[in-house]
Amino acid sequence: MLPAMAKFRFSFIFLLFIVIKCESVNVDTISSDIRFKNVDRTIDISSQLVKISSKLTLENTGGTPVKNFLIAVESAAKNNVAFVGAKDSNNKDLRLVETTVSGYDYVRFWRVELKDALNAGATSLVTVESVFTKALLPFPTAITQQEDQLVKYIGNLYTYTPYYVTSQKTNVILNTKSVETFTKVKPYTQQDGGFQYGPYPAVKPFSEKELVIHYKNNSPFLTVTRIERLIEVSHWGNIAVEEVVEIEHSGAKLKGPFSRYDYQQDHHSGPASVRSYKTLLPASASDVYYRDTNGNISTSNMKVKKDSVELDLRPRYPLFGGWRTHYTLGYNVPSYEYLYQSGNDYLLKMRVVDHIFDDMQVDEVVTKIILPEGSTSVKVNLPYPVTRLPDSLHYTYLDTKGRPVISFTKKNIVENHIQDFQLRYTFPRLLMLQEPLLVVGFLYALFLCVIIYVRLDFSIHKAEHHHKD
Amino acid sequence: MPQTSTAKPGNGRNKGIFNNTTGFSTLITVTVLSLAWLAGFASRLFAVIRFESIIHEFDPWFNYRSTAYMVQHGFYNFLNWFDERAWYPLGRIVGGTVYPGLMITSGTIHWILHTLNIPIHIRDICVFLAPVFSGLTAIATYLLTSELWSRGAGLFAACFIAIVPGYSSRSVAGSYDNEGIAIFALQFTYYLWLKSLKNGSVFWSICTALSYFYMVSAWGGYVFIINLIPLHVFLLLIMGRFSQRLFVSYSVFYIVGLLMSMQIPFVGFQPIRTSEHMAASGVFALVMAIGAMKYLHSLNPKGQWKQLLILGGLIAAGAVFLAVVLLTYAGVIAPWSGRFYSLWDTTYAKIHIPIIASVSEHQPTTWSSFFFDLHVLVCTFPVGLWYCIKNINDERVFVALYALSAVYFAGVMVRLMLTLTPVVCVLSGIAFSILLDLVLREDDLPAPQVDTEESKSLYDKAGKLKKRTHEPTLPPDTGLGMNVRSVTLILFMILLMLFSVHCTWATSNAYSSPSIVLASYGNDGSRKILDDFREAYGWLSQNTAEDARVMSWWDYGYQIAGMGNRTTLVDNNTWNNSHIALVGKAMASNETAAYEIMTMLDVDYVLVIFGGAIGYSGDDINKFIWMVRIAEGEHPKDIHEADYFTERGEYRVDSEASKTMLNCLMYKLSYYRYDSGGSPPGYDRTRGALPGNRGFKLTYLEEAYTTEHWLVRIYRVKKPDEFNRPRLPLAKRTVPTSNSISKKTSKRRKGMIKNKPTIVKGKKAVRLE
Repeated sequence: MLPAMAKFRFSFIFLLFIVIKCESVNVDTISSDIRFKNVDRTIDISSQLVKISSKLTLENTGGTPVKNFLIAVESAAKNNVAFVGAKDSNNKDLRLVETTVSGYDYVRFWRVELKDALNAGATSLVTVESVFTKALLPFPTAITQQEDQLVKYIGNLYTYTPYYVTSQKTNVILNTKSVETFTKVKPYTQQDGGFQYGPYPAVKPFSEKELVIHYKNNSPFLTVTRIERLIEVSHWGNIAVEEVVEIEHSGAKLKGPFSRYDYQQDHHSGPASVRSYKTLLPASASDVYYRDTNGNISTSNMKVKKDSVELDLRPRYPLFGGWRTHYTLGYNVPSYEYLYQSGNDYLLKMRVVDHIFDDMQVDEVVTKIILPEGSTSVKVNLPYPVTRLPDSLHYTYLDTKGRPVISFTKKNIVENHIQDFQLRYTFPRLLMLQEPLLVVGFLYALFLCVIIYVRLDFSIHKAEHHHKD
Repeated sequence: MPQTSTAKPGNGRNKGIFNNTTGFSTLITVTVLSLAWLAGFASRLFAVIRFESIIHEFDPWFNYRSTAYMVQHGFYNFLNWFDERAWYPLGRIVGGTVYPGLMITSGTIHWILHTLNIPIHIRDICVFLAPVFSGLTAIATYLLTSELWSRGAGLFAACFIAIVPGYSSRSVAGSYDNEGIAIFALQFTYYLWLKSLKNGSVFWSICTALSYFYMVSAWGGYVFIINLIPLHVFLLLIMGRFSQRLFVSYSVFYIVGLLMSMQIPFVGFQPIRTSEHMAASGVFALVMAIGAMKYLHSLNPKGQWKQLLILGGLIAAGAVFLAVVLLTYAGVIAPWSGRFYSLWDTTYAKIHIPIIASVSEHQPTTWSSFFFDLHVLVCTFPVGLWYCIKNINDERVFVALYALSAVYFAGVMVRLMLTLTPVVCVLSGIAFSILLDLVLREDDLPAPQVDTEESKSLYDKAGKLKKRTHEPTLPPDTGLGMNVRSVTLILFMILLMLFSVHCTWATSNAYSSPSIVLASYGNDGSRKILDDFREAYGWLSQNTAEDARVMSWWDYGYQIAGMGNRTTLVDNNTWNNSHIALVGKAMASNETAAYEIMTMLDVDYVLVIFGGAIGYSGDDINKFIWMVRIAEGEHPKDIHEADYFTERGEYRVDSEASKTMLNCLMYKLSYYRYDSGGSPPGYDRTRGALPGNRGFKLTYLEEAYTTEHWLVRIYRVKKPDEFNRPRLPLAKRTVPTSNSISKKTSKRRKGMIKNKPTIVKGKKAVRLE
């Protein structure tokens, strides 16, 4: 009966989820009232990610107040976009909804809901941030151990937008002086570690012009191909977190031999390789372990800082282009920091995904939350849309009917996705006693059996040594 | 009183509540045994505490891998497992070439725990299996010793075996090997054998056979049991100690044990087809013959039967012996295997099977290692043996035989020290028990209830026995003064204390190294972990193709398969000598010849261990001479051991080394671009020499990975299109077409066919002649 109920409930939730999801795919139109008076765009390609932050000055040229506007991503980059966010002039997050516009199927749109409607003739400042993964292509695709890694950035010289842009400027940050080639569209200036393009006046909606920069980028090109994050909640005061991480160096592949001699002799050898990286854990993390299938990886250091625990993780071997590694990282955090309670209702507030290294890019994350046995009516509240996986059961010490496991997955994750989810559930507090009672009962039964056994005589014939004393 | 509770140690426990005295002694027994278990378990944890919970060394990695396979795929799939990852391209039928007892034991534990929802990883079960079983061994030893002498002696023996280095050397946490559980099975089988011999009951004999079955499933050393028990029976027959009990227990044990041992796929028909097992069948036939004679004798108990009995026995023995010899000649029974021969003739392996001789644990034992492994027990166990022989009965004949044969085998091979250790503990336990009986006699005085029971026990010549045990103890007792007693007592307590200190020290320092993780200590006591092996295997498992074949010396085969998860050519299951010799030949040849062998074997990567940078002495260059020897055994035309030595017969790597040595593959792979190390760059710290051939280039291989401390070096074998291609400068890469002067005239430049047939559509082509 109960499992059937659970199944029904689950399917209902799932149905609801689908309905909500369907509804969210909505259709917008491009308002011709809006113009961008000024766009100040910064493209940061000094790491493996492309981070674009644009300061938009919105102008309402129409007669009616405007409540929202659209952000567009061109078709060339639409599969690389990992994160889009918008903030108003007070640095407050604005609500974003992915949307479509009929006639522009090849473009991805987001609708930004403004806090206050923009009146006719008024202007407003909005900062839009977007992060693209795998947008920097190593060129050449394979290098030898001693060579520097060169990458190519192919982007858009103009801000891709459905609106008319009166004036725009673009700053490109490279953090290197060695640039092989770059697009030269006047006016532009080359500064220390970057370029400035523009200002370009009067750009039409949806205008594209190729911006190519071929430059040296030896920053770590590490892709987490998959991370499985397991959060096990215990009501005895502990939350155990375990992350199974698979990492690949996604930069230029290593061509030819790896020479330990060169690598040891010269510290600049293997400039594109990754020797180690830093992972930040919550400040209260304890009992940290870092291991793989062959056991403990002995090359790591841990520093406890004021606001975090900093792990200096060194894979077993340096990672060159195309090399892979995998490991398991686990730790405990006290539950009072993340678990809130009111009567029998509990609220778990933890991160969907945590920091692995700076400027990380994650292909796929699977987060599983194991709740205590007997938890019911689970509700998850997520900061961004994810794919919910079917619930399952997990059996561990002293479990009888299994612990509910809530799991969800998301693809293409960057640092901006390090946000909290909220999970509500009900747990009758009396159930806490179940496990100790189980142990007590078992021992009691065992001793009872022994006592009874010892007092009974099972022998067929009377042994003589009874009269020994 | 030594003989007190020997008869029924089992019953004593059950009745603890009724009887105060027995209850007290049961309490002591249980406490001492559980403490021994605890101490034995704890003293084996050095490796886990110092390093981590990890599988050690070489063979355990295979056991672990197959256990993990069994847990994952189920028992029947494990029995049918064909491992294509080993012995490329031959593969290995694992289920049929392995003693599955170890895997089944830990698999069962894993299954039970997981049924109870205790999610312990199979690795942790494997790591801690041997320490847990050491406690069971202690209990089995206790039972065996109390069967032989007294419960007190049993407790001593249990304590000894729990911590003695000779046993803990093979059973520290992480040393997941057959021996870890086999010693328990061995001791328990012997205990049950003595029990069944004493009672002559079919029940105990069946138990013996079951325990023997477990032993067969666990370790190849079961041959020791199946020869020692018949030997015991044979000796009892010679001593004229034949009895119905002996007849029943041996014949039941033999039949049931034989049938059950044949159920292990790896053993199969060996028990009836090989010479190693023939002693058991011969003795069985003999026991039957004598039993028949005795029966006839009982029909007509007259004097002249005695001669007939002896004569008949002798004839039966001779007939059995002749039959075995004839069958061996006829080829029905396989003659003794090489490994068995090498036990009798210590130089046999060196001449005929270098692969056995090359293993360090197959070397003859030195005197110091006897002391190191057994400490004071090595001096006291002859005392126990002497007492056993002096107060002989059926069981003590057994322990005497056990001791003598084990001492011999332990002397032949270091490895077999393991079979000696339990019996040494048993006999030393007896010796110490006697000694304590002597010096603590007063405390023992109020124990008169013993004698009543004695007569009722099932001993033959029970009366005699009692007298004998009293004889040695009583007379010296009267002559000992209080001071002598206390001094002796204190001296022996100090001795025992030293023993336990030594045991802990030896276990901690000599036997608790995982050997895949090395630790070095700096001058300030700081510890540095050298994790090169796992670094290399981790690299292999992540950054090579799934089906890549790795060539290495056989020592590392199991580790590559277990940690690197890659196909190996040879591994520690040295069943195919010629395959190993081929790898040895590749290592010993020059690069070109080696490349041919490597292409023939589809090798993708070559892995060598090189300790020169950190002074690790167990590396491949030091083992290299064995590779040469094994290769020479199979390919005497191509490889000559003498070529690898200098003219003065020295094995060197510096500039005075022989030319063959300096150009062989192993040398080149070890020293390729090796220029770090000591003060002169490229100094080999293991051999204390500057390599003779440096700065060379490799044609057919390229360095794929070298670990941080140069311990493991992995090379990739180039494909034929990757080498020997002349390098052309870019300018010359275009094919000059226009400049070439054609010899053809302009007329003939266009190709044409002579007597071209003219083709008309719709008609047959007609060739114009």
